[in-house]
Amino acid sequence: MATKPDSIVGCSNIKMSRRTFSKLTAIGTAAALGGIGLSKYDHTIDKLIEQASATTSSGVNHIKTICSHCALGCGLLGKVENGVLTGIEPWEDHPINAGSLCSKGAAIREIVNSETRLKYPMKKSGGKWHRISWEEALDEIAAKMKDIKATDGPDSIFYLGSAKVTNEECYLFRKFAAFNGTNNVDHQARICHSTTVAGMANTWSFGAMTNSWNDMRHSKLIFFCGENAAASHPVAMQHILEGKARGAKFIVADPRFTKSAALADMYVRFRPGTDIPFIWGICNEIVKNNWHDTDFIEKRTYGFDQWWDVVKDYTPEVVEDITWVKADTIRELAYEWAHTSPACICWAMGATQHTVGTNNIRSFACLELLTGNVGKSGGGCNAFRGHDNVQGATDMCVLSHWLPSYYGLTEGSWKHWVGVWNEHAPITYDNMKAEFAEYNGKSLMHVPGLTVSRWYEGVLDSSVAQPKPVKMVFVWGHSLNSITEMKRMKEAMEKVDLVVGIDPHATVASSLADRPDGIIVLPASTVFEKDGSVSNSARQVQWRNRLIDPLYESKSDYWIMKELATRLGFGPHFTYNSPEDVLREINRGANVIMMRESPERIKRQQEHSSDFSIEDCQAKSGPCKGEYWGLPWPCWNDEHPGTPLLYRNDIPIAEGGSEFRTRFRGKDSTAGNPVSDDGISMLGAGYAHPEGYDEMNSDGTPGSGWKYDLDSDWKGIIAENKCPSGAGKARFMAWNLPDPIPVHREPIETPRPDLIDKYPTYDDVDDHFRVKCLFKTIQDERKNLVDTYPIILSSGRQVEHMGGGAETRSCKYLVELQPENYVEINPGLASEIGARHWDYVWVETLRGRIKVRAYVTERVNRETAFIPYHWAGWMEGKSYEDRYPSGTAELALGDSVNIICVDGYDRSTNMQETKACLCKIYKV
Amino acid sequence: MRFVIDVGKCIDCGGCWVACKDINDVETGIERIRIVTLNEGKTGEKSVPIQCFHCDHPACMLVCPQEAITKRDDGIVLVNQDKCVGCRYCLWACPYGTPQFKKMGSVMEKCTYCVERIDSGLRPACGGFCATKAIFVGKSASEADAKASSIGAARVKGPTNPDAAYKGVTL
Ligand code: SF4
Repeated sequence: MATKPDSIVGCSNIKMSRRTFSKLTAIGTAAALGGIGLSKYDHTIDKLIEQASATTSSGVNHIKTICSHCALGCGLLGKVENGVLTGIEPWEDHPINAGSLCSKGAAIREIVNSETRLKYPMKKSGGKWHRISWEEALDEIAAKMKDIKATDGPDSIFYLGSAKVTNEECYLFRKFAAFNGTNNVDHQARICHSTTVAGMANTWSFGAMTNSWNDMRHSKLIFFCGENAAASHPVAMQHILEGKARGAKFIVADPRFTKSAALADMYVRFRPGTDIPFIWGICNEIVKNNWHDTDFIEKRTYGFDQWWDVVKDYTPEVVEDITWVKADTIRELAYEWAHTSPACICWAMGATQHTVGTNNIRSFACLELLTGNVGKSGGGCNAFRGHDNVQGATDMCVLSHWLPSYYGLTEGSWKHWVGVWNEHAPITYDNMKAEFAEYNGKSLMHVPGLTVSRWYEGVLDSSVAQPKPVKMVFVWGHSLNSITEMKRMKEAMEKVDLVVGIDPHATVASSLADRPDGIIVLPASTVFEKDGSVSNSARQVQWRNRLIDPLYESKSDYWIMKELATRLGFGPHFTYNSPEDVLREINRGANVIMMRESPERIKRQQEHSSDFSIEDCQAKSGPCKGEYWGLPWPCWNDEHPGTPLLYRNDIPIAEGGSEFRTRFRGKDSTAGNPVSDDGISMLGAGYAHPEGYDEMNSDGTPGSGWKYDLDSDWKGIIAENKCPSGAGKARFMAWNLPDPIPVHREPIETPRPDLIDKYPTYDDVDDHFRVKCLFKTIQDERKNLVDTYPIILSSGRQVEHMGGGAETRSCKYLVELQPENYVEINPGLASEIGARHWDYVWVETLRGRIKVRAYVTERVNRETAFIPYHWAGWMEGKSYEDRYPSGTAELALGDSVNIICVDGYDRSTNMQETKACLCKIYKV
Repeated sequence: MRFVIDVGKCIDCGGCWVACKDINDVETGIERIRIVTLNEGKTGEKSVPIQCFHCDHPACMLVCPQEAITKRDDGIVLVNQDKCVGCRYCLWACPYGTPQFKKMGSVMEKCTYCVERIDSGLRPACGGFCATKAIFVGKSASEADAKASSIGAARVKGPTNPDAAYKGVTL
């Protein structure tokens, strides 16, 4: 276990135990508590217990709910006594985690009751924080919004949304931005898996994890490339290790020898930023030996020959020179991939957060196509999503380039959703259009907005491609320290008129900007203080029950949105009777992913969780018999069991089968005849229809009607063993991407300047999500940077902390385990710079320097260093603790690695690069 | 036999550690369960959860001058903190470094086998929540025995006859 301090500043000890409380309440009463003088104990939960005992009725309840930390979606029971969350218990028959939790899940009681939560709306003025009322706060924010919209236009407000709220709130947040007339809305998915979505969706139509957590029990090869589940998705390891115990080979490829690598059969170290040549080397060897699945390639894929034309050059020897991986190891891996099936590939931010992130994921998907592993139990592309509801927030498209359920920004898409919204309260397409500004003669309704990764350039860059720069930002459920270029962001936060932070904690939104006024922070309730649905990485939709009423003055994100909407004049569109009603509206419109999981069905599943098998998440008996847990989308109608494995087409759609969509339509395509850009048919072999068929309308005629028809239940078409979205081909060559076939491109800051000429990065882009994005210019400028900054810097996860860490760094248990930020350095480097374990060192890049502890370990090699990214509250060695509203700074603060990460972004999605830049390290 | 631990499944996530803290209100600085990592960053890296083994012949109990340590009929070894004077003889005697002391003069603290949970039919915290089911904690000796033989875990050998079995490491 990691480092622990002798004492934790800011933690008061619990004197009155919760066990004692339980005993007392069992016999008794507020009087009993009063009698022992409980009030003298200065601890949140004791105060809560005291208040609750005085005011609420007694009783102990164990309430089923879902962990708020990662995208596993583990279930747990909240133990609620007299309205206070006093403990948690295992939910033993939950089909995903069977009662298990990691350190973060086990800390939920403490996290919810955290003393450092933001308790009241606070406003900074005259250099000080003042408590204000909700009325005052909401009035002021709404007035400012109106003001900015009138003078600068709707695009001058940026809505930074969240993957940590319910599906219903995510959906309403996207709708909220729309009603405010802008696409300047985005959330964490941009910087966690936007490249996964772009990479997979462009290969085979959907961008989500194809299989599931439990399905890895059936794999024979589990291949990690840029994933460290032992730290980031701990309970997933339960299924992976079960698969291993049943004979699967578990291989971890990573620049760092991780805790996951410790449990693997084989570990392969490769250089950060060289995933594509690494994977192409494996593919090269497979094809040269004729080990590829020619039948699958022939029937269900497009572009193999063009692809091979690129990949043939990545021989194991060429790859060895680029990646650090020996040619013989590449050959061994190729052999494993070709001779072990089913095989799945798993990744997270190790693969996604790169300037070539989309291409990395494309290469993984191509490996799965090449070996015919996708669409099989035990195979597939398992993108391990991060936050608990980041799949849901992505599905609801809290994103600047889509409308909910992956509808683009076209007129047809807007009309679809305005039609759905109009059923709730009257609105027309023209009303909606009138809310949007124009730029360069075009309505910005159809133009993707700024992104999370570079929103601050929308403030600072005067040439931003919209009428006026951004003047106000909502930081709504997002820790800003997870975004790179923090110094630029700080500058932007000092320049805007108003920063509004909305979160259970004050977070960096309150403390980063050095300004005396112009910040308002509002206390959002935690997810355990409201009801709603949440989608895990495996597309499983679960209902999360509220455990307790919102603590302090906190309010649900839904309530805050509704109050603002009312003040802005569109309240009826945000007024619902219940979260269930919002989910029904989503069910009605979200056709592209067929998210028709009704609240009734997912709640029924929750009630009957014991009927579901841990082997395949299917109910084997009871009222849900045949259904898959969470009704993984696409879920076509009220009788459909959900689709646990995407693209599995050896079973009927009615039983959960699935096809590659006929999504890719070159210029000469017609309804019924989708063709590639070079005229090849994109119909692929489908279940019971070997010749394939195009997507269709509800009457079965070819067309895209399935995306827009609100009333069809598709039962007739499904009875004919057809999938309404067609049976098409997956693509080795994605003709619409900047690199139709991925090629190696050296990171912007590379330790191998000699490779830049052969493998250069992209050319600069003038308008990349409204702002300029430099690639080649900065790579050339920094060509010889390695001479002065010789170490490769990567960032990543600690198991005890999550995301920006505002919640976990506020939990005394997790802080006891991980009290300070550090840089992992190899003993060789440590002795060279004269640093001993736990000495303070500076890690410096061209962006600045941060002060962290030296963690001397052989996890990293001599050439690389690693820093966890969950830390905030310091800026270049200086604590910002005094800038938070009093008592709201997290228990543990530290310098953020994102102060120094590189200013590089994915060419397709604007994903930030966090895994490959150059630094130097020296003692403080 | 009580604790059955498969080291090949421990990912050092700290779930057991936090669950133990939270359920037992364990003070900062005290660890009733520890995860010891061997060979960090190298082939052969292992994470080994260790808590009080509730030995058949508890050395701590033998040496305690206050008779503060007792062993229940079901094998659970408990310390009566009202009797303990913090002399630390138990810490010297225990081969596994189990007894925990907050500071000089503090009374001894250690794993209680979540005795109140056991007495009300619940599984102890560490085994109840373990992320990968690496830690199994029997509600009875027979349940634990069956688990140990099903996974091939070997009982820890030592003069105190520890009531724990491990797979993947020899203690
Ligand atoms: S953080 Fe993830 S693995 Fe840990 S308990 Fe929560 S959902 Fe499960």
